[in-house]
Amino acid sequence: MKKLLILPVLFLLFACEEQGDLTKDGFNLASLNQSAVLKYHGTFEPTSGISVTGEAKIYLENNQYKVELDGFTISDGPDLKVYLSKAPTPNDFVNLGNLTSATVYNVPQGIDVSAYSHILIHCQQYNHLFAIAQLIQN
Amino acid sequence: MKKLFYIFLFFFVAEFVNAQGCSDAGICSIGHSFDTAEKQTKNIIEVATIFGKGESDISYWSPFVSYTRKISEKFSLNTKVTFSSADGDFGTRATFGDAFLIGNYAFKEKNNKQWSAVFGWKFPFTSSNKKINGYSLPLDYQASLGTFDLFLGTNLKYKKWDFNAVVQIPVFNNNKNSYFKEFSGTSEFPSTNLFRRKSDALVRATYSIKTKNEKFTFKPHLSFGTRFL
Repeated sequence: MKKLLILPVLFLLFACEEQGDLTKDGFNLASLNQSAVLKYHGTFEPTSGISVTGEAKIYLENNQYKVELDGFTISDGPDLKVYLSKAPTPNDFVNLGNLTSATVYNVPQGIDVSAYSHILIHCQQYNHLFAIAQLIQN
Repeated sequence: MKKLFYIFLFFFVAEFVNAQGCSDAGICSIGHSFDTAEKQTKNIIEVATIFGKGESDISYWSPFVSYTRKISEKFSLNTKVTFSSADGDFGTRATFGDAFLIGNYAFKEKNNKQWSAVFGWKFPFTSSNKKINGYSLPLDYQASLGTFDLFLGTNLKYKKWDFNAVVQIPVFNNNKNSYFKEFSGTSEFPSTNLFRRKSDALVRATYSIKTKNEKFTFKPHLSFGTRFL
């Protein structure tokens, strides 16, 4: 009987993660080359209890819009996302993906960037807004 | 303790599932919770594991532990905890999946036929947003769909046959999955950001074969599942 009760504990020991080809460090990172033209920029402001520094910059490079987080640091948080948003709250936005060590995020094709006014850093899992950058046209 | 039996089940399973397309244990794994408890047995512990191959060559290892307690002649309670490990191009992600609590009320047997009714809940251990190295993973790599589900069903036991019909209804959604196909480097899995699961239905036929010493029971079964809402 005791051996059976040990089984759930063994399961716990097996709880793990191991990276694969699609989750290796640096996989699928976007980059910015020198021909990119700065179109919009804004400085990040924190929400209550959050610490943030840096700027959001939107570049156009070969018909591809890219968001660069320049000089960016932020408080740790779970499940942080980068949003291109139409307002300073995460109601109408395009999700640019997980906030990682990457500094450049591609904006999906077909998005009218001029209709968006903010870059947000948002914890999706717990629906908590971390930082807001209001965009100014360059 | 004398009445404690260990029943190891070997599944010879042919399942045709058109359901949520993920590794959620859910409705397809609760069949034995719906069996009428062995008549002479007050406590049953089941330990089993399922090995499988999924989409895009993902390998699964999904063990579970289940405990059934016969409260009275007609009523039994079953609890179960699942675990799942998925291994594929995204890597390996292993964690607990769901806990189940299922009640089974058996009606009086007549002419070798016995009906029973079941009612239960599924509680997720995760919000279906486990990641590897910070990368969001498709539902195929998640051990649970992150939903609190209600189970309603019935079982007909006829001689050595069991026929189950069950529905699984998501009551509270806590799915926080954040997988986007566009950011993943592969198009093999659909985007499932903040996925909303729908109800499932399952029909299952099981045939019980006991060894001569009655210490082992083999239960090959055939299942048909579908998403119907």
